Amino acid sequence: MSKLKIDTIAAVSTPAGRSAISLIRVSGPETFKILSKLFKTGGKKAFPLPYSAYFGAIVEPDTGLVADKCLVTTFLAPKSYTGEDLAEVSTHGNPVVVSRVMQLLLKNGARAAEAGEFTRRAFLHGKMDLLEVEAVSQLLSAGTASQARLALNQLDGLPSKFVARIRDRLIHNLVQLEASLNFPEDAVEAIDEHLLAIEIKHILAELHVFARNARNGNLVADGLRIALLGRPNSGKSSLMNYMLGRERAIVTDIAGTTRDTLEEAMMIGDFPVKIIDTAGMRRPGDRIEAMGIERTGQAVDSAFAIVGVFDGSQPVSSEDILVLDRIKSSQKPFILVCNKTDLPQRLEESFFSGCPTVEISSLKASGLPQLVKTLREIISSSGLSELEEMVLLGAQQSVSLDKALAALERADQGIGTMYQDMLAIDLEEAVRELGRVNGETVDVNTLDLIFERFCIGK
Amino acid sequence: MEKRNHFSVIVVGAGHAGCEAALASARLGVDTLLLTMNISTVALMPCNPSIGGPGKGHLVREIGALGGEMAQCIDETCVQMKWLNTSKGPAVRSRRAQADKYLYRQRMLNTLFNTPNLLLRQGHVTEIIVDGGRVAGVRLETGVGFSCEKLIVTSGTYLNSRIILGRASWDGAPQNQSAAIGLSDSLVKAGVRLRRLQTATPPRVLKSSVDLTKLTELPGDVDAGGFLWENRLRRYEKQISCFLTFTDERSVEAVRRNLSESPLMLENITDEGPKHCPSIDRKIMKFPDMVKHQIFVEPEGWESQELYLQGLTTAMPPSAQQDILASVAGLENAVVLRYGYAIEYDALAPGQIRKTMESRVVDGLYTAGQLNGTSGYEEAAGQGLIAAINAVLALKKQPPYWPSRTKSYLGVLVDDLSTWEKPEPYRITPGHAEFRLTLRDDSAERRLAADGFRIGLVSQERFASIYEWSARIEKEIARLGVLSLLPSGEARERLARFNSGDLKKPASGNELLQRPGINYQEAMDLLQQPFESRLTAADEIYAVETEIKSSGYAEREAEKILQTAFLEKIHLPMITADPRLQVLSSQAIQILNSDRFDDLSQMVRKHCLSRTEVAILLSVLAENSEGENEVEVKND
Repeated sequence: MSKLKIDTIAAVSTPAGRSAISLIRVSGPETFKILSKLFKTGGKKAFPLPYSAYFGAIVEPDTGLVADKCLVTTFLAPKSYTGEDLAEVSTHGNPVVVSRVMQLLLKNGARAAEAGEFTRRAFLHGKMDLLEVEAVSQLLSAGTASQARLALNQLDGLPSKFVARIRDRLIHNLVQLEASLNFPEDAVEAIDEHLLAIEIKHILAELHVFARNARNGNLVADGLRIALLGRPNSGKSSLMNYMLGRERAIVTDIAGTTRDTLEEAMMIGDFPVKIIDTAGMRRPGDRIEAMGIERTGQAVDSAFAIVGVFDGSQPVSSEDILVLDRIKSSQKPFILVCNKTDLPQRLEESFFSGCPTVEISSLKASGLPQLVKTLREIISSSGLSELEEMVLLGAQQSVSLDKALAALERADQGIGTMYQDMLAIDLEEAVRELGRVNGETVDVNTLDLIFERFCIGK
Repeated sequence: MEKRNHFSVIVVGAGHAGCEAALASARLGVDTLLLTMNISTVALMPCNPSIGGPGKGHLVREIGALGGEMAQCIDETCVQMKWLNTSKGPAVRSRRAQADKYLYRQRMLNTLFNTPNLLLRQGHVTEIIVDGGRVAGVRLETGVGFSCEKLIVTSGTYLNSRIILGRASWDGAPQNQSAAIGLSDSLVKAGVRLRRLQTATPPRVLKSSVDLTKLTELPGDVDAGGFLWENRLRRYEKQISCFLTFTDERSVEAVRRNLSESPLMLENITDEGPKHCPSIDRKIMKFPDMVKHQIFVEPEGWESQELYLQGLTTAMPPSAQQDILASVAGLENAVVLRYGYAIEYDALAPGQIRKTMESRVVDGLYTAGQLNGTSGYEEAAGQGLIAAINAVLALKKQPPYWPSRTKSYLGVLVDDLSTWEKPEPYRITPGHAEFRLTLRDDSAERRLAADGFRIGLVSQERFASIYEWSARIEKEIARLGVLSLLPSGEARERLARFNSGDLKKPASGNELLQRPGINYQEAMDLLQQPFESRLTAADEIYAVETEIKSSGYAEREAEKILQTAFLEKIHLPMITADPRLQVLSSQAIQILNSDRFDDLSQMVRKHCLSRTEVAILLSVLAENSEGENEVEVKND
C-alpha cells in the first residue's frame, strides 16, 4: 500500500534567489480549485484546458490586491509529469513575490511538497518506473555533463523496457512449467528442457551485459575512485593537494601523518573522480595507524584505478617493493608517480620498468598534465565512455539484480539434472527480483496466467 | 441413548467436511450431533470418483497425519492408487486414488455409527438460532430444536440450490436430492453475507456401451502406497484401470452446433464457477483453436457399471450431450445413465471467516467446505477437521489452533480462504504453497503429527511410532553428514563408474548424494557402509535422498519461512496507540485495528503493508514489548 495522501502539493521549483522568473509547481486533485480562487486570467479561454498557458494575475482573495502578474501553464491528469492535475506558475523572480504567491497557495489548500515528492507521485501514478525515478534523482544531482547524459539516457526508459522484456520471457516459461507441475492430469504439454536451457543461457548473457552496464553506470554516477598508494612520506598528500589545486591533506615531513583515508572530488576531462589519499603502507606503528592501514586496503579494493606514489629522492626501500606488489596484485589499472623530482634523484629507474610512469614535482607543480592525460586514457580504455549503454541502479535494485542473476545461474547449471519443481523455484525468484529492479508489481500470479493460457479442467 | 436436545457441538451436513468435523469433535471427547438431510447419502461423491492429485493429495496425507479420517477411508476403499509427477520433483509428487464411491460412503457411515460421543441423525435444518450474537442451536423443518455451544455448518452445494440442464431448471440438489431451504435466510438474518456460486458435472455412461479398445488404458501403481502413514508402504495388487480419450474436430463441431442451448449462452446461471473445472462448452468458446481436449474416463467402483467422463462437464440439454458423446472416439454409442448438470448454490461472500474457520460475524459459528467457497472433497475435509478442532478448543477455553502456511497445505488452505477475494471457488494446488519444498507429501507427519498429538487426535502409540520413523530419517541424514569419502585412487575409480565426476578432496555422504545421478544405496556403496547399517524402507530412503538433494533450495526457503512464521504470530487486531505509528498510512492503521485479517503476514501478503511499514511497525512493537512482552504471540 502506498502512503499516498491524495492532497495537493506546491513547491518552488527554481533555485532560491533573485532571477528573471521563478517557477512554482502545484500538483494534486485540488490544483485548479485552488488556482481558480487565486488566479484571474486575462483572456476568455476556459480554465483549465490540457497543455494550455494563461496570462493573468494572482490576486489575494480577501483584499483583491494583485500579488504578481504571471503565466500559468496547465496540465490535466493523467497527462502531466505527476499523473495528477498539475499547474506551473511562472512568477517574477523576486523572492518577496515568490514567497507571497507560495503563501497564498498554502493558505488556500495546498501543502508544501517534501523533497522529491513530485517525482514520487509520478512513480505512484505509474508515470515512471523505479529506474526512471532513480534517473531523475541522479539528473537533479548530476554534477557533470557525463552524469547528466547518463541520467537522461535512463529517462528514455530503455533499460526498464529491457528488464520488462526479459522478465516477460521468463514468466512465459515459468507459466508453462507450473502448468505441468500443478495440473499433471491435464493434457498440458511438458516443457522442452533443451529449449528452456538455451533460453536461460541467452537471458543470462543479456542480463550479464546489463549488470556490467549497471556497475559502470554507478561508477560514473558515484565518481570513479582513484586511490593514491605509497609508503609513508612518499608525498601522497602533497600530490593530492597538487591535483586538487588547494590544501586538503595535512602535509608534514613526519612519516605517517595521514592516518585515515581522505577523499576529494575533482574532474578528469568529462568524468567526475574521487581522489583517495591513503595512509602510507608499512608495518603498523600504533593502533590508530593500523586502522588507517586497514582502510587503505579497503580503498584499494574499491578503487577504479591506483596511482602509486614513490619518492624519487630516496633509494628503493622494502616498503616501496611492498607497495608495488600490492598495486600489481590488485589487478586494477594503475600508473606510477615518481615524486619529488625537484630533489636529486636516487631512485633506481629500473624499479619502474614495464610500468606506466610519470615524473612529478608536487612542490614545483610540474608533471600534472601528463598524469591527467594518462588517467584519461585509462578511463576511456575501460569502456566507461560509452554512456548510452549505461544504467543507473539504486542499492536495493543492484541487490535484486544480483539475486536474479544467481537464481538464473543455478537454473542454468541444474537444468537437465535437477527436478523441475526446483527449476521453477529459481525461475520464480528471478522473475520476482527482476520485478524489483523495475519496481513493477512484484507478485506474479502464476496460477491466473496458467488458466489464461492453458485449457485446464476436469 | 436417552432422548436429548442439547449437544456441545452440532454439525450440519454429512458430506466430506461434516463427516470429518463430527468425527474429530467426537474423538476429542465432546458430545456431538451430526445432522444430515439423508443418512443414505452420507459422504457422497457427487462429482468425480477420485481423491488426491497435487495439492489435494498433500491435504489428504496431512489430514491423516493430524488424525482425520479421509486418508484411511480412501486407502481402504480405492479401486486404484497412482503416483503423479514422480519425475517432476519431490515438491509436486503426490498420489491420486480412484474411489469406489459406494464403498467409501458405506465405510464412512460405519465409522460414524461406531464412534463414541457421536450421534448421527436425519433432519433438515431450516434455522440457526442466534442469541445475542452467539450461536445457541438449530431448528429442523419438523419444528424440533437442538441447542448447542458450537455449531459447524457444512452445507455443501445444498443451500437454496438449483439444478440447471439446458433451458430447464428446478430447485434441487446433487443426485436428485432436495435443496436446503430456510437456512440461508436464517444466516442472512444473523448478519452473514451470501453469494451465488455454481459448479457442474459431466454425464455418466454405461461401461458396456463404451468401446474400450479405442481408449488408452491407464493402470495404477502397485507400489504407490496409501495416504495414511500406516499405509504408506501398502501394496495394491488388485486395481482397476482408468481410460483416456480425446475430443476432435467432430466434437468441437457438435458443441458449437448446440451452443445456443448452453447455460453459458442462455445466461440462466451465475458465471462464478470453478476456474479449474470449465465445462466443455466454455473450453470450446475460450480456446476456439483447440480441438483435442482430454477426456479421462473413471470407473465409479469395483462393481459399478457407470463410467465418469472427466473433461466433458456440461449443463447442455440431454440431446446436446448425446450429440457431443457421439463425436468422441470410443464413446460413439455410449448410453448415458445420468446426464451432466450444473448446480447453483449459496455460499459465503468473502471476508467472513477466520483461519480457524470460525465466523467473523456470529460467535460460536464455524463453517467448512463448499459453503466457504471452495471446491473439492479434500479441501472440504481439511476445513471440517480444522473447524472441529477449533470448535472443541474454544469449548474447552483453550487457545485456537492456527495452522501455519509455512507448515502445511492445511495452513495454506485456511490462510488463503480467510483472505480470498476472487469471485471463483478456491481449489488447492502446489501453486498456492510458496514453501512447497518444505510441505512435501512425504514429510506430512514430521510436520503435523506433534500437533495432532497435542490436540488429542493422534494417540500416544501412534505418535511414538511416527516419532521413531522420523528419528530414523533424521539420524541417517546426520550420519551421512559425518561419513566421508577420501579421494583415493580406488574411490575416484568407483566414482567414475557412476559417471559422477572426479573427487579432489574428501567428500561427505551428503555431498556425494547431492551429486546428480547418485542415490542412497550408491552413496552407501561408495562409503563402504555395511548393509546392516543402512535404511531398508523405501519411503525412509526416499525422504533422506530428497532432503539432502534439495537442501540448498530448502535452506533458502527456510529463511523466508522464518519471516512469514514470525509475522503470522503477530495477531490482529492490535491497538496501535503509539504516536510513532501515525507515519503509517491511515488505511494500514485502520486495517491493523480492524478484524479484517488474522495476522500481520496476511496484511503483507495482501499488500496492505509495505516492507518499509512492516519494519517501522516491528521496531515500535519490539521497543514497546521490551520487558512486558506486549507483542501478542499466541500458540504456533
